[in-house]
Amino acid sequence: MANSNPLPLEGIRIAEITVVWAGPHVTQVLAEWGADVIRVEPITHVQPYSRGGERVSSKEVSRRTAETGTLTGAYVDCDPAEEPWNRNNAFNSHSRNKRSMACDIMLPEGKEAFLRLIEKVDVLIENNVPVTIERAGITYDVLKEINPRLIMLRMPAYGLDGPYKNYRGFGTHVEGMIGHHWLRGYPDGSPDETGEAFTADALAGVMGAFAVTSALLKRHQTGVGQQIEMPLAEAFLPALGEWILDYTMNGRVAQPQGNLHRTHAPHSVFPTQGEDQWIALDVATDEEFRALCDVLGTAELLADERFQTGVGRKEHEAALNQALAEATKSWVNDDLFHKLQAAGVTAGSVHDEAALMQSPQLNDRGFFEELTISGIGTHTYPGIMTKWANTPNHLRTPPPRIGEHNEEIYIDLLGYSREEYDDLVARGLVGTTYSEQLVPRTWLATQER
Amino acid sequence: MAQLFDGLKVLELAQHVAGPFAGKLFADYGADVIKVEPPEGDRSRHEGPFKDDVPDPETSALFLHLNTHKKSVTLDVESEEGRRVLRRLIDDADVVIESYRPGQLTEWGLSYDELAKDHPDLVLASITPFGQTGPWRDYRGSEITLQALGGPMHLNGSSYREPLKSGGYVAQYHCGIATAYACVAARLRVAMGGKGDHIDQAIYEAQAGFRDRRTVYTTGYSYTGYVAKRQPPGSRVAMGPRPTADGYANIYAGGTKHFLAALDLIGRPDLKDHPDANKNIALYSEDFAAEVEGSWMGWLIQRDKRTAVKETQDIGLLGGAILTTEDLITDEHYRSRGVWDTIEHPKAGTYEAPGRQLILSDTPRQEPARAPLLGEHNAEVYGALGLDLDQLRSQSVI
Repeated sequence: MANSNPLPLEGIRIAEITVVWAGPHVTQVLAEWGADVIRVEPITHVQPYSRGGERVSSKEVSRRTAETGTLTGAYVDCDPAEEPWNRNNAFNSHSRNKRSMACDIMLPEGKEAFLRLIEKVDVLIENNVPVTIERAGITYDVLKEINPRLIMLRMPAYGLDGPYKNYRGFGTHVEGMIGHHWLRGYPDGSPDETGEAFTADALAGVMGAFAVTSALLKRHQTGVGQQIEMPLAEAFLPALGEWILDYTMNGRVAQPQGNLHRTHAPHSVFPTQGEDQWIALDVATDEEFRALCDVLGTAELLADERFQTGVGRKEHEAALNQALAEATKSWVNDDLFHKLQAAGVTAGSVHDEAALMQSPQLNDRGFFEELTISGIGTHTYPGIMTKWANTPNHLRTPPPRIGEHNEEIYIDLLGYSREEYDDLVARGLVGTTYSEQLVPRTWLATQER
Repeated sequence: MAQLFDGLKVLELAQHVAGPFAGKLFADYGADVIKVEPPEGDRSRHEGPFKDDVPDPETSALFLHLNTHKKSVTLDVESEEGRRVLRRLIDDADVVIESYRPGQLTEWGLSYDELAKDHPDLVLASITPFGQTGPWRDYRGSEITLQALGGPMHLNGSSYREPLKSGGYVAQYHCGIATAYACVAARLRVAMGGKGDHIDQAIYEAQAGFRDRRTVYTTGYSYTGYVAKRQPPGSRVAMGPRPTADGYANIYAGGTKHFLAALDLIGRPDLKDHPDANKNIALYSEDFAAEVEGSWMGWLIQRDKRTAVKETQDIGLLGGAILTTEDLITDEHYRSRGVWDTIEHPKAGTYEAPGRQLILSDTPRQEPARAPLLGEHNAEVYGALGLDLDQLRSQSVI
């Protein structure tokens, strides 16, 4: 079908002063649906944990880290090269469709440019520690005087007030502080065995996009903007509603659940052939249990008195899981997945990144897309998580290099003269890289040695 | 008080978690949300946990939480007459959120194209495990299997043990929010003079687009050729979850820019002069790692989790306490911010529930409200459509 429908956020311009994962994810999903997102980022200091520009490791350490299965901050070809901040997976997985403008809001020249930008945007999104925005003097009461139609989304970890106001943390710390880390642990283990999840960033991303778009819809009626305060912790809390109510209604403190379900059994993962290969099973009914035993050839489980009913299976879950694990371990994972689905059993392989990228379902739906970053290469990226039947949508532009869009933003959008712009560049306030003084290229020295 | 969604009419034909959470986001912020339930009620009414652990479709915490501010009507959509009523409800809505299996609405003659013929503004969101198209579209999916296939499950847990799902129904909550975002975006296009659309939201695809590690590490694999793996517990020196006097805290000290300050804090200033003290955490020698880790654990175990976090926040470390639900609900921070709504319910009594996600300066959220009883609004909703309630009842439609 021809793309007769415009993307819903075409014509909406958004500025972001965001760091790490959560804030940039909000603008990612807004940009995907048509917003013009301008990333305001300094070259005069390094935003922590955002572009992989600080504490850069050598090529050797980068490779070793990736080899051990840690991909939190990986570089293209495991090589930080000359400009690691343009080659970082954490940044480049969210920043497609965005533009980058070098601007340090903490310096007078940067603040002036930022305030000129505020006149030109519909939305400002930030996820800094609250005190940072206060120090910069760019709180909503200041900005709304410049642009009364401005919608400002603030995403602190815990809130603009309260004892934890200026607490610093990542998504994994927020998941701890709202009870998710505890809840998802091994029932017989401790929280240091669970690994770290950044669920808070994922939930805040879509919730922030929902909030901003809702405020835009409201502004269409009222003509005025507003501030939205959305702490990561509070955007996540409702996702644990039933566990919280179990405490407030029944006084029960939720214990680590691991792969357990309230009533279903089996409801866990089971090993299949090969190293670290697992399949998740979720059996809700007698019919599904029969189908499961048929496929696995475990007639004895079907006949076992203990496993005749859902209640019985749940009561004897440990024994059942053990018997099923014996039966699944000789299967090829993918074969078992499709056989079980064909038989009507809710099953799903535990897929790593490589398996995900080969998914026939995702590929049939065109989920993955290629983007080319000039000088860095062509790679496959995860695409857009929602399909609209009558609005085909694709990734439009690759992740921006730092400061890539300086000129068009300063001169064309903000009305700086060529002389003014050149002066900012000459003084090192605007540019397309960090200075050697700010970021000594130690990793390159290590490589040469 | 003006609300975000004043005047917006949402019809919820969805069960369990994802669709109802999308509906809740609209309802809590002012939309008129009608929830259509089968005669026995939404699946979540039968799941619990229940008030006093006594199964009752009116006291399931999962349902009570997900359906605040909505109106409930019952409808048997399996019958012809029921589907005629359904069509009336859909025609009256701005947004419809449904979670029937792929193709079900089309079989009933209620495809998007059919519905949109005289109603081009309609926004229809279909939530399914795998989407409306593709070779797996008829496959079954649930929270654990969709997390396994689509999400970062292979990374949860220890390298010595099996993978773990993320907590509760987070994949479905996430999918619900993504759906609500899509619906609002489509309504914005309608407000600007454009058309509605049929939104096809797969929980699987929402997991594949999940910012919790998945998109980051998929890109990482694309860049490096290496997949991510579960890590052994305690593998990072003075970093990650550790025991405290009263539980656990997850604090980042080792290898961070405030590491030297952390050595002062834990009473080991002598280690600041060690040649490894300024190195990348991956390059610490075994001896240095053991010295640091021992002193770090010793310092933590003498403090309560929240005290340890406070003291390390004061020197700039990232971190958080690992709270239980009890810790959370009694925590003074959340309490001082008023995140808990007090809900009164005729069957479940009075209880506290997580309230707003958003604090809006111009359109603050309305007062909290409870979830509806099953079919509580049959008379009101069907009456407004001019339908004869007795007739519907005699036809076993409601």
